[in-house]
Amino acid sequence: MGLNDATRAPGGAERDPFAPDLSVRIGPLVLPNPVGVASGTFGYGEEYAALLDTDALGAIYTKAVTVEPRAGNPAPRLAETPAGLLNSIGLANPGLETFVRDKLPALRARRCRTIVNVAGATVDDYVRVVEGIEASGGVDGYELNVSCPNVKSGGMAFGTDPRLVALVTESVRRATKRALVVKLSPNVTDIAETAHAAEDAGADAVSAINTLVGMAIDVKARRPRLAMKTGGLSGPAVKPVGVAAVYRVSRAVKIPVIGLGGIMTAGDALEYLLAGADAVQVGTATFVEPDAALRVLEGIEAWMRENRVARVADIKNLLEE
Amino acid sequence: MVRIDTELLSNRRVAEGYFELRFRWPAAGRPAPGQFLTVRAREGSDPLLRRPFAFASHDGTRDEATIVIQERGSATRALATLEAEAKLDLLGPLGHGFAFPERGTEPVLVAGGIGVGPMLFLRAALEAAGTKSRFVLGARTAALVPEALLPRGAGVEVRTDDGSLGAKGTAADAVTALLPEARAALYACGPAPLMAALDRIATERGWPYQAAVEEWMACGVGACMGCAVPLKSGGFLRACADGPVLDGRLVKWD
Repeated sequence: MGLNDATRAPGGAERDPFAPDLSVRIGPLVLPNPVGVASGTFGYGEEYAALLDTDALGAIYTKAVTVEPRAGNPAPRLAETPAGLLNSIGLANPGLETFVRDKLPALRARRCRTIVNVAGATVDDYVRVVEGIEASGGVDGYELNVSCPNVKSGGMAFGTDPRLVALVTESVRRATKRALVVKLSPNVTDIAETAHAAEDAGADAVSAINTLVGMAIDVKARRPRLAMKTGGLSGPAVKPVGVAAVYRVSRAVKIPVIGLGGIMTAGDALEYLLAGADAVQVGTATFVEPDAALRVLEGIEAWMRENRVARVADIKNLLEE
Repeated sequence: MVRIDTELLSNRRVAEGYFELRFRWPAAGRPAPGQFLTVRAREGSDPLLRRPFAFASHDGTRDEATIVIQERGSATRALATLEAEAKLDLLGPLGHGFAFPERGTEPVLVAGGIGVGPMLFLRAALEAAGTKSRFVLGARTAALVPEALLPRGAGVEVRTDDGSLGAKGTAADAVTALLPEARAALYACGPAPLMAALDRIATERGWPYQAAVEEWMACGVGACMGCAVPLKSGGFLRACADGPVLDGRLVKWD
């Protein structure tokens, strides 16, 4: 401790009058800051509530909701790989009716913005989930999961075909005026094509990336480590893939891009923002450090102060290339 | 539930590849037997996830607790080499623990291998409440028996597959040898074949059977649905939030 510290007023350093604007606009919705928690890693907001101030998050992207309850895939559903996590959960969720009755009231009671992740096997499934939630008063927005690698029908089968992405997006678009995000699959030849399809069909934003198809084998047992054999890879291992996807998508569409995939630190999030993202989601990192998203947010704000960046949307213009 | 950076007080080898880690544990997070914590083995992304371990003891007067780990991979290897005063990033207590036995039943605690930790904690808690219990530990061989940790007193039995310590056989054999008329209440943590064998005995004899399950976990708090435990009736329960202690007769063990 230096001499000066003793003479400082409580509260430490003088307040910096420069206050960056952290808000982000997604269609009709304004998020208070760019850092959300990714679908599938944060349940419906209850489980982590004791471990971090969920009101401070930019948004909660919920675990996927389908029309019918789903038990999920056989166990084991998880396998850790170098700097990565393979999962094959299979969209386990209580279904629309139970979600609306048991989970939605508590989500609404939170001050945090809630974006419900929606999944289905048919276009009609997606529409029914959104209509069901709209009929019960709605939420802040929807994220269409057209990119889950762990279910046989729907999921990634939609997300890898631009025509189906367009069809499901425009069908849901007719059912809601709220913020509509389409979550893109990286398991495609050119992610710009599906991003275009979502934009043209009326999406307010796209999020990228969902998990990458992966597989791990237990050599001793000569058996795949996941019961479903393959799963979706997340974590630091996928970050460069995600950053490249966001870079490409942000140059292909005019709507906002929400970047995710392996964000553990503010530095990781800033890579996404510099690559062209307007907002980010923190997923697997929450498993490691429950308050990871809030630390990422603090770090982004500190970086913006340090670099005198006024708005989050300005960050993407700072990439030197 | 608390998340804390705490201090490792001691780390001692208690059997081949088995270590007991003793650490400061705050009064705010009082654990029950069967509950667990997750630990970040070290900074960085390999290993990536926190690892779950059942509490093996808790001393509320000294604000200390222990876990017993077995070296299996990179995370447990990192934990095994930690020395006293190392910092530990812990989250717990998590999940649901064991319910105490009904009056008139005799608790029989069965530990298989590294499943010993939560059973030691339960034994101590029962004893503190004035309830006697039987304690059976099964291991492959004598080198894998943490003798220094075994409870003292009557009703403690060791079985090894090769007969190198205690009687030859499995922990389940010791339970089979109990009188069928006894009103036993089974408590167990161990590998699936042992848990399945106890399920058969419990079902046949109509004994209650509380089983602490082990599964791969990501979040540990019920959010990710990763640690699914399959049930005989179909469907799943989450090891972390619905368990880790479940009715062992409902679980599909094979």
